[in-house]
Amino acid sequence: MNPDTPDDSPVPHAPEGAASGPDPSPRRRRTSILILDDEPIVCKRLKPFFQKAGYEAEAYSQPAEALARVEQRRFDVVITDLKMQGLDGLAFLGKVKALSPDTDVIVITGFATLETARESFRKGVFDFVAKPFKLTKILEGVRRIEKERGLVP
Amino acid sequence: MRLPVWINPRNWRRKKPPVPFSVLFKKFKSILERNNAILELIADMGDKLGGDYIYDRQYILSSCEKLGDQVFKLVSDLSFLCQRKNVALFNAFEGIQHRIAEELAGRRTLSRTDHILPLAELTHDLADEGGNKMASLGDIRNILGFAVPEGFVITAGAYFEAMEQAGLRRLAAETTRRLCADGGQDLAEESRRLRQAILAMPLPKGLVRAVEQAAKQLSGNGRELLAVRSSAWGEDGESSFAGMYESVLGVAAGDILDAYRQVLASLFCEQALRYRLHHDQCAEEPAMAVGVMPMVAAAVSGGLYTYAPLGEQDQAMVVSAAWGLGKPIVDGTAETDTFLLSREPPHKLLSADISCKSTQLSLDPQGGTRTLEVTGPARDASCLSDEQLARLARTAMNLERFFKRPLDVEWAITSQGDLLLLQARPLSIRPRACALAPDAAEAAREAPVLLSGKGITAMGGVASGPVQLVGEGEDLSDFPYGAILVSRHSSPRFAKVMPKCRGIITDVGSATGHMATIARELRVPTLVGAGPATRTLRQGQEITLDADHVVVYEGLVEALCRNELVREDVFEESWEYRTLKRVLRHVSPLTLLDPQSEAFRPENCKTFHDIARYVHQRAVDKLIGLAETHQEITQGAPRKLDTRLPLGLTVIDVEGGLDPAAGPGIEEKDIRCRPLKTILDGMTMTGMWETAPVGVDMGSFMSSLTRTFGADMAHPARLGRNLAVISKEYLNLHLRLGYHFTVVDAYLGGSINDNVIFFRFMGGVTDLTRRSRRASLVAAVLEQFDFVVEIKGDMVTGRVKKHPTRAMLDKMFMLGGLIGYTRQLDARLDSDEAGQRHLETFFNRLAAVKETRE
Repeated sequence: MNPDTPDDSPVPHAPEGAASGPDPSPRRRRTSILILDDEPIVCKRLKPFFQKAGYEAEAYSQPAEALARVEQRRFDVVITDLKMQGLDGLAFLGKVKALSPDTDVIVITGFATLETARESFRKGVFDFVAKPFKLTKILEGVRRIEKERGLVP
Repeated sequence: MRLPVWINPRNWRRKKPPVPFSVLFKKFKSILERNNAILELIADMGDKLGGDYIYDRQYILSSCEKLGDQVFKLVSDLSFLCQRKNVALFNAFEGIQHRIAEELAGRRTLSRTDHILPLAELTHDLADEGGNKMASLGDIRNILGFAVPEGFVITAGAYFEAMEQAGLRRLAAETTRRLCADGGQDLAEESRRLRQAILAMPLPKGLVRAVEQAAKQLSGNGRELLAVRSSAWGEDGESSFAGMYESVLGVAAGDILDAYRQVLASLFCEQALRYRLHHDQCAEEPAMAVGVMPMVAAAVSGGLYTYAPLGEQDQAMVVSAAWGLGKPIVDGTAETDTFLLSREPPHKLLSADISCKSTQLSLDPQGGTRTLEVTGPARDASCLSDEQLARLARTAMNLERFFKRPLDVEWAITSQGDLLLLQARPLSIRPRACALAPDAAEAAREAPVLLSGKGITAMGGVASGPVQLVGEGEDLSDFPYGAILVSRHSSPRFAKVMPKCRGIITDVGSATGHMATIARELRVPTLVGAGPATRTLRQGQEITLDADHVVVYEGLVEALCRNELVREDVFEESWEYRTLKRVLRHVSPLTLLDPQSEAFRPENCKTFHDIARYVHQRAVDKLIGLAETHQEITQGAPRKLDTRLPLGLTVIDVEGGLDPAAGPGIEEKDIRCRPLKTILDGMTMTGMWETAPVGVDMGSFMSSLTRTFGADMAHPARLGRNLAVISKEYLNLHLRLGYHFTVVDAYLGGSINDNVIFFRFMGGVTDLTRRSRRASLVAAVLEQFDFVVEIKGDMVTGRVKKHPTRAMLDKMFMLGGLIGYTRQLDARLDSDEAGQRHLETFFNRLAAVKETRE
């Protein structure tokens, strides 16, 4: 069961394929976020949350699908769970970084230990958030990324 | 679960080795710590319902495990402290633990075993018992306060019992399994077989009696006809079974059982079986609750869509109406008037299409219904007045905000002009314009931001409307419909206007306070602690509040509001939300309130909170007892503290709380414990203690003091003994004064992160209203001083932590004043205004003292 596939409605200005050049729209490009968590509830809540906050967001509860998607296109931010059926979040993180080194990754996990945190940061994670977390907290993380990457004026 | 070895009574024969006081005291302290940890965990879990947090299944499982573990250890600690087995308490613990495990395993423990529940008791909390449709109607009646036909529901539990007894529950499960396995082969035939079996099944005797009796009563001894409606699990809810199940209208009370079976059988109609097959619901057992209501003798009936299904009119709602009963409208066979109204207040009429209504369906006084001819001017007249239309529109928008979905509302107006709501279900069409979420994103990016990032989400959601500034103690009876309430403080008073207001923003306040709880219940988007809201927002200014993102935009951000209504999943309907809420029913309510009452027993512990409360009380009693009777075994011997006020305080110094040079009789100057010293200063210096009412001198105060000690304080040596356990930084204070029982637990002066004050206040002999007035007053004071406050009955708890030591000491000083001030207060709290007045008096005096201190 995979109730949370990305928007099936065609998004007028969504860039197709990896880094498809400049945004055709005269409007400022929206920061893009990919969310991966095998708990569907996390996807169901984070996706609309970020969309309403002005982001372009896609959410996946199947690691394989998320993997296929990051091979297709680049995202500014990836938010991923650590412990999932089928794929370790750290492995996913490695893949993302290999494909697109300037994508920033936020790790969210219900099993936060110092060890996993350290490991994540060594692999280049931008932020490490323990579940449960406040919505505002993860939004702050994304805003910090935007600021550091100069994605916002 | 096995009891720990040391609880084995054989280890504790008479010749038990004396346990040193220091060991017992350590146990006592660990009980207090664990107790606080448990209460915090409970509060934490409760917070997660507010919509501010992301959590998953794992969180629910692990917090239940952690909590169960802590409560078990707490009970064990008490057994050790009291050197008793506490079998009853362990049993209570295991019962609660078991019920939680059942909820987590997905076996809905129906919290009510009744065959029948009156609509008056139904809300979404009982959606398992009453089914979705009737639970929604219960919300409309009992939470939102709109009129619906009175009635009752025959529960899902009754369905299971009937099916079980007829041997059909297994047949249904096997049939479903077979259909799922072979992809729906012979579905039509299987459906027919199952339905026929249900139509012919005998019903349990008890159920028959209950249903017949309730139907007879509801129909006024058979004078009125009944509507028998399906209310299955999931119907109109997370999965849309809309329209698949049967409802039987115009049923005579004598025919109720046949109608009941007919609705039950529709649970297995072809369409429903196919739906379940294709929606991956093979593993879930379906259930059918059935609603029974009188047919409304309607003068006008109709339907309302909160979003008109018209592309070019996406800001309108549409009303269709006809004379008489609503059935022909639903069936689409009647000539109807059609009105388009603006979704925005004051809901301007956009168009009215008045048709010629030649016939109407009416109730036949002889029974059944009949079609009558409409004569005279009524034929071509509009069946709704402007006023009625406006009322319908307001009502529908209230429902929509609560259910967070565009709705299809069925309504009726009686000849007396009363508006009754018959049903509200999610509209399956969705407003076209909001299918594109990026619209909302764009709108959010471009709207001017008035406030951002400051505040706590007490209830998530988006709301827009004009600002209505509400001052302290201001009359709320004229609060305008559809406005957003903006106020300096949060207040339970706002509960009254919540059905009218679209959102709430306060400068200060807590997400766990009383008001926040009500806002969550009514699903009003609420932001508390938003800082300069009252200064930034102007009266009448149009704003959009996005409580999820803690942002207030200028103007109406239309796309954002629309987006709110098309969330793929309403959080409140998710498995996680519902399960956590169900689990919390066994965790957080406090039912064991009065330690003086007969009912304060382990057998009566219904929740983990009850157990924690019980253990705490017993531990304190025990420690006082130990200190009194076993002075020889205590190391830090209890000493009487001579205070300026008559507190009767016994002090146990654990470490560094007293001047080492002090003798057995100690005075305030010997105190080195800063929290104790400060709270005593607060009691004395604020002058609050002297505010006794006229005619009550110290003598009568002392007599009120003696009066309050109940049976467990009968030992004369104990009289007037209040207890403080202290160290240099720590204070644990148990104070009975007059009618009140106060607990303060504070640790101040270490690192800022360890600073914590816990305050609990309860008791009182006056009537409940006054007691709850006092509770609100205490809560208001605590909230003003940044405490996270909870009110349960007449018990108020407040917690504050991680403020700088200086600020924390100020709070201790204030608590001293508060304890003094409230000492005699209930007798004088004869009105809500008096409460408000006292609040002001208290703050004024405190401010005055503070100035002279500084």
